[in-house]
Amino acid sequence: MTALSKRIAGDDGDPVLQGSGGRTATTADLAATGLSDRIAADDRVALAVADPFEAVRALALLDGRVAAILLLSRSLAPDLVAELADKAGCTLCISDRTLALPGDLCLVPSGEMAGDRTDADAATAWLMTTSGTTGTPKIIPHNLRSLSHSVYRFGPETRPAWGLLYDPTRFAGLQVALQALVGGGRLIVTDPDAGIGAQVAALAEGGCTHLSATPTLWRRVLMTPGHDRLSLQQVTLGGEIADQSTLDALARAFPDARRTHIYASTEAGVGFSVTDGKAGFPETYLGNAPGRIRMDVRDGILWLKPAETALTTGVDGVEIDADGFVNSGDRVAVSDGRVTFLGRENGLINVGGAKVHPETVEAVIRSVPGVALVRVSGKASPVMGALVVAEIQLDAGADKDETRTRVQEACRAKLNREAMPASLRFVEDFEINASGKLVRART
Amino acid sequence: MQNLEDEIRRVFGEVWKLEVGTEVPELKPDTVLLETGLDSLGFAIFVSALDEELGYDPFVLADDAYYPQTFAEFVAFYEKYRPAA
Repeated sequence: MTALSKRIAGDDGDPVLQGSGGRTATTADLAATGLSDRIAADDRVALAVADPFEAVRALALLDGRVAAILLLSRSLAPDLVAELADKAGCTLCISDRTLALPGDLCLVPSGEMAGDRTDADAATAWLMTTSGTTGTPKIIPHNLRSLSHSVYRFGPETRPAWGLLYDPTRFAGLQVALQALVGGGRLIVTDPDAGIGAQVAALAEGGCTHLSATPTLWRRVLMTPGHDRLSLQQVTLGGEIADQSTLDALARAFPDARRTHIYASTEAGVGFSVTDGKAGFPETYLGNAPGRIRMDVRDGILWLKPAETALTTGVDGVEIDADGFVNSGDRVAVSDGRVTFLGRENGLINVGGAKVHPETVEAVIRSVPGVALVRVSGKASPVMGALVVAEIQLDAGADKDETRTRVQEACRAKLNREAMPASLRFVEDFEINASGKLVRART
Repeated sequence: MQNLEDEIRRVFGEVWKLEVGTEVPELKPDTVLLETGLDSLGFAIFVSALDEELGYDPFVLADDAYYPQTFAEFVAFYEKYRPAA
């Protein structure tokens, strides 16, 4: 298939890629730039470039010219970079950081990746990584075709200017980047280290018209002075449940913008978008869903039937019935003609887009001396969607303050920040259900 | 509760010490809260801690979503939704 560098739309000489510090690239620049001959067509490349402008440029340089690109987030710890690169069979690593890599992995600084190699006929695998708050991320193989199949092609008269607040190596950010580059727009990349105020200012200055973010990130934008300088035509929300008050606040802040919230089910591998500005989706979708999917609500859980699927029941814990409906694991309520999302069936807590398993946090706290029982749950937060809270029952005679300090230290040492309980409550006893398990609170 | 603004400052200081750990920045009326160095998660924990201390959360009580930017706006928002004694 045609390589990314040849698929970038818009050849009128205006930049298609804008970055911090006044950096720009036109379609012609990206199409003409070759790859260094230090990088061969059979190389598998770990891309660990922290600067998002350079990361996007690297994708255009590498697609069609190497066997595989492993997209690694700037937020990954160096030892995870090495571990994932090894797992993906990478032969070299492109980075703008100093990384201690295993001896057989050659490091090419991102400043030296360009060169004379302009061939572009290799079938490049794009290896994405999952973002979990615990454990090593999983590697999910894709290619440019599978990643760009939902790209909408805008006509030349529209030229939407997409702002990038997401990490371009993650699924949501890559979707924005490909939509802008392949879909006939332009991409404005902001400096994630500059802070939200500077990022919003850069987007306003760059003439951003289309912006995609999580509800948590949108609330952060709304709290940033100068966000009223953004003249947005499109406001897209994804990655978390879009609640009505955030949708309403966005309608007031950006009255001319179309608001789209996206629902995606990792389990079913499908998604759809809703554009009527109301939380959830119309109940009529249950009989007549958008696209080629079908939906059903059973015992308060949303089931989806993808048009085509390679899934088989039991694999990766996915549940599928005889008719091909997949359990999404999302709890929903149906009332007044609307289906709204309540949270995850398994108690998974979504903290501003980061998914936290309560069991993982419970295991860390339970290991602390003085803790008899612990229950971790989500608490609704108007800022982050949800926060993690822990209730603890002490061993007889254990000191509350000492235990609190030890629990805080254990959490800080072993958990991501999002997974650390925002509050610790000490309780006398817990409700135990008939099967002898702790009753898990539902948010 | 004596003075709401003092109480908010006190809780901010406690959350800051736990979440950021450096010296607590001064909160002036025109200080932009998100420019103090407190990120979204820190801010969410601050609002949650205030809910526990004060017993109410104006972000939940308000009919229309409102996002205060400066410290003065933040305090005024809490004043507005303070339950009658």
